[in-house]
Order: sequence, then structure tokens, then C-alpha cells
Amino acid sequence: MNENDAGAEGAPVTKDHGVLYVGMDLGTSRTSVSASNGVRETVYSVVGYPKDVVAQKLLKKDVLFGKEAIEKRLSLKFYRPLEKGRLKFSQHDAAVEAENVRAAKDLIKEAVRLSKPRKDELVYCVIGAPAQASVKNREAIIDAARESVDSVMLCSEPFAVAYGLDMLEDVLVIDIGAGTTDLCRMHGTMPEEADQITFDVAGDAVDDELTRLIKEAHPDAQFTKEMVKEIKERYSYLGDPPERAVVDLPIRGKPTPLDVTELVKQACAILVPPIVDGLNRLISSFDPEFQHKLRNRVLLAGGGSMIKNLDSAIELAMKRDLGGGRVQHAQEPVYGGANGALKIAHDMPEEFWEKLR
Amino acid sequence: MKRLSEQLKSAVRDMAYRTSLDQLKKRGVTQVNMVSMDRIVALIDEAVHRAVRHHLIGSEREQVIDATKEEFLRLMRNNEALENEANELRKLQGRAEDELDMLRRELSQAQQTLDAKLAAAALPAQARIEGENAELVKRFLETFSTVQDAAGTNIDQLRDGTLSLLLEFVEGERKQTIAATEAARNREIDLLQRRVTKLTSSLEVSEKRMVELAALKNIDPGISSIYRDVQGLDSQDALFKKKSALMADIFKANLALQKKA
Repeated sequence: MNENDAGAEGAPVTKDHGVLYVGMDLGTSRTSVSASNGVRETVYSVVGYPKDVVAQKLLKKDVLFGKEAIEKRLSLKFYRPLEKGRLKFSQHDAAVEAENVRAAKDLIKEAVRLSKPRKDELVYCVIGAPAQASVKNREAIIDAARESVDSVMLCSEPFAVAYGLDMLEDVLVIDIGAGTTDLCRMHGTMPEEADQITFDVAGDAVDDELTRLIKEAHPDAQFTKEMVKEIKERYSYLGDPPERAVVDLPIRGKPTPLDVTELVKQACAILVPPIVDGLNRLISSFDPEFQHKLRNRVLLAGGGSMIKNLDSAIELAMKRDLGGGRVQHAQEPVYGGANGALKIAHDMPEEFWEKLR
Repeated sequence: MKRLSEQLKSAVRDMAYRTSLDQLKKRGVTQVNMVSMDRIVALIDEAVHRAVRHHLIGSEREQVIDATKEEFLRLMRNNEALENEANELRKLQGRAEDELDMLRRELSQAQQTLDAKLAAAALPAQARIEGENAELVKRFLETFSTVQDAAGTNIDQLRDGTLSLLLEFVEGERKQTIAATEAARNREIDLLQRRVTKLTSSLEVSEKRMVELAALKNIDPGISSIYRDVQGLDSQDALFKKKSALMADIFKANLALQKKA
């Protein structure tokens, strides 16, 4: 309701300054926000700036995000500010690094805008970062976020997922994003370095593998990274195929139906071995008395968890390598991290927020 | 076949144009070769038949002759239609030329009327000036005559009379000038007032639009959080202690990260 809106009896209603909590999952592929006003939004983590004055006049915008930026990318300086779950940094080119940081700042600003904060509200934000992001990277994310929010905290992404589901003890979280897969062992306290494993066999790696396989099987087929991503998101599976993955790809300019069912399965399968290996390491290094509990409480989250039958495939591999285990899906894979971050933001005491302002 | 000959004659006649001997002479033609109409028709007829005989035999020939006749007649009809169209166009062109002439005459008349009116408009002012001058001269002469006729006239009387007369005229002129200036000023003021009114009206419209635009911008003022202040953990939460410790850990890590320790 607007501040100037009249109340039921015609008297103006004045609203006190409120606090909007925002949980943000700043991902390589997508950035999702979940806010305490009920808003939940997601945007592709891409940012574009018009290449020149002509493009700017045509697009009528200074900066474009998400799908719109992807569609208009030929007229844009196009950035994916995150890579493997982290802000991209250039070792050699300070200008490139500055541009990337600017894109990250704009992306976070856009994500906060999408959460629809009122102008008179304080925004307190918790951002989920990869479990093993470097200090430099964490600092960069904090700096990027500061311009858009009143107070900000970072937390480990898989921890946020588990916290959101109140699964704080004896649970093993697998968070499969686009850039990284994070494994986190929860045992009632804050996860430490030894409780977390991050590797980059994740959604993007599946895309790369699928690209390679399609090129190998159909050398004349023409396609882009975005097209492969769409195919994966539509058909990804393990185990028995739920449907045939027949896609139209141009061959010498002519759309040609190609059956890529097996190729999709082969590409998705690359996720399983490193996950099972990570599970093995985290379980085997845990208190032997509680190892069986961990084995039987594996939580699958993140966009990658939407691969059909992935849970069964991991269970099968666990049975083979670890003597068994149970895998369950987190509800709402896309918003699991953001929801958890929102819950952390909500539960954080006031004095903590104040000290970080 | 006879009918075809007549049709050919008619066609040649229609397609030919008429000219006089004088016109030919003007073009430098002194001699012409004459071919009679019958001869031309016969030649065409013969040419057609020869061509047909050369290429076709028997019934085909008759069919081709019939088809050719039909085609020829169709072309003739088309030619007639085109001729009619051309005649129509010529008529329209003639009409347009007449109208153009009429417009030119009207323009000339309008120009003459305008010149007459401009001349007429100049006349009253000239006449008024001449009339006023005459009146002024008359009054001066009367004043001088009165002074001359009066016994014991002196220069003072003449001066007073002249001055009085002069002041009277100056006063009249001054009044007229002031009236004219005021009228002009009033017209200007009136014009300015009308412009101000219009500008005010435009401003009101612009302001209204601005308000509407501002309102549009405010269509999405954001959605209020369900919380008015910082919540913190619920002490009734079954995991209160554990969560409190976790919150403290997260805070400490962030404090260290943000270098606010």
C-alpha cells in the first residue's frame, strides 16, 4: 500500500519504516532472490551494456539483464560476471576486471530491484556464495552488494539450503549449480573447511560434454551454447529415458530432427562419479558412529538436481561404492538457496545487522 | 474473306492520321509515294495467306485463319478502347487547361483588387492629413484675420491667439496619439493576456501529465515487508540454541570479512 493511501475510514495510513529481508543465490547461471515481502524472482546471471550510441538508442536502456540481454547480445557488451560460482577476476587486465566487477554490481542491484523493496525500507541481505569461495572473492561480492543494500552477509550456499530446511544435523547437502557442485556436511555447528568440498563438474560441464558429444555424433549440426543449455534443461535424465530427446538442429541451414537421447544421458552421467567420490570423502572422514546417518540423509539441491533420476543414479553408485545410502530432493531446487538465505537473514539478531551497516 | 478485307481497311483507316498538303510542305515534303487502301489490304491479306499456306495444311490452316481473325478483331476492339481512353484523356487535358486559364484570370483579378484596396487604404490617411492641414491653415488665417480686424491689436494678442490655436491642435494630436498608443498597448496587453492564458492552460496540462507520469512511476512502489523491524530468532524455536550459535558464527565470519572487527 502506498504511504498516501487512505485507510478504511479515509484517514491517511502512515507506515513505519520496515525491514525487507532478502535471501540471494548468486549463481553462475541464475541469480535468485527470495524476500520477506513474498517476492521470489530469478534472472539469468548475464549483464549487457549497449555497444555504442546506436545500440543504446535502439535498446533505450543503459543496461540489460537476463533473457533480454541474451536475446539482444549482438548489440551488447556481454558479461557473465560469475564463473564457477565466483566473480571473474583477470590476472592480467585491470580494465577487464573492473568491467566484470561493474557487471556484478549491476546484477546484484537488479536482483535487489526484482525483490521490489519499498523506498522507505531497509534492505538486509544474505547472499549464498560457493562453499569454498576465496576471501578475495567474498570481499568482492560484499563490495558489489553494498551499493544496493543496507546491510549484507555472506554464507555458504549448501549451508543456506540446509538451514532453510531446518536440516542442521547429520545431513549431507549436494548443491549442483551451473559453475560448481558444493558438498557440505552439516553436524549442528557451522561447517568448516573440512566439512565442505567444491568442484567444477556441474551444469556448465554437462553443457560442454553434451556439446562435445553432439559434435562428435553429428559433425554437420550447427548449434550454440545456449541451444545446448536449452536441450539439457528440457531433456536431462539418467537411468531410463522418460521420453525421446528429438531436437531440430540446423544442418547446412536446414532444420533437421536429431535424436540426442543417449547423448544427453551420457553428458548428465559425468556428474555422478565426482559427487560419489566427494560423498565418500566426507562420510569416511566423519565420526564412524554417525556415518550411517550421513549416508542416509543426502540432500540434493540446486538447478542441477532437476536432472531426472539423478537421485537414483547417485544411490546406485553409493550402493556400489559406499555400501548404500539414501538421497532426497530439496523442495524448489531453484529457490532452495535463496529461501535458506532469507531464513538466515530473518533469524539474524538486530545487533548483528546493525554492526554490519 | 470479304469481311476480313473490310475489317483490314477499317483498321488501316483508323490507324492512319490525317494531314494537309500545307503541313507536309512545312515539314519539307514535296513528293509522296501513294499506295491505295485496297492495295495495302490486299498485301496484308496475301501476306497472311502465304504465311499460313507455307506453314500449315488442310483443316489446321482454316483453324489458324479463324483464330487469327478472332485475334485481329480482339486487337481491333482493344485499339478502339485505347482510342476512347486517349480521347477521354485529351478531353480531360482540355478541361484542365481551361480551368488553369480561369484560375490565372481569377488570380489577375484578385491582384488588381488587392492593389486597388491598398491604394484605397492609403487614401483616407492622406485625405485626413490634407484636411487637417487645411483646417489648421484656415484657423490660423481666421485668427490672424480677427487680430487684424480688431482695433488696437498688438503683438501680444497675436502671440496669445497663435499659441492658443497651436496648443489646441497639439492637444488634439496628443490625445489622438495617446489614444492610439493606448489602443496599441491594449491590443498588445490583450494579446499577451491571451498568450498567458494559453500558456497557463498548457502548463496545467503539462503539470497534469507530470502528475500522471509520477503516478505511473509510483504504480509499483514496491511491496512492503511483512516485518516492521528486525525479527531475530524465535525463542520458542526448538533449535533456538543451535541456531543462535550458528547466527553468531555467520556474523563473526562476516565481521572479519568486512573488516569491522
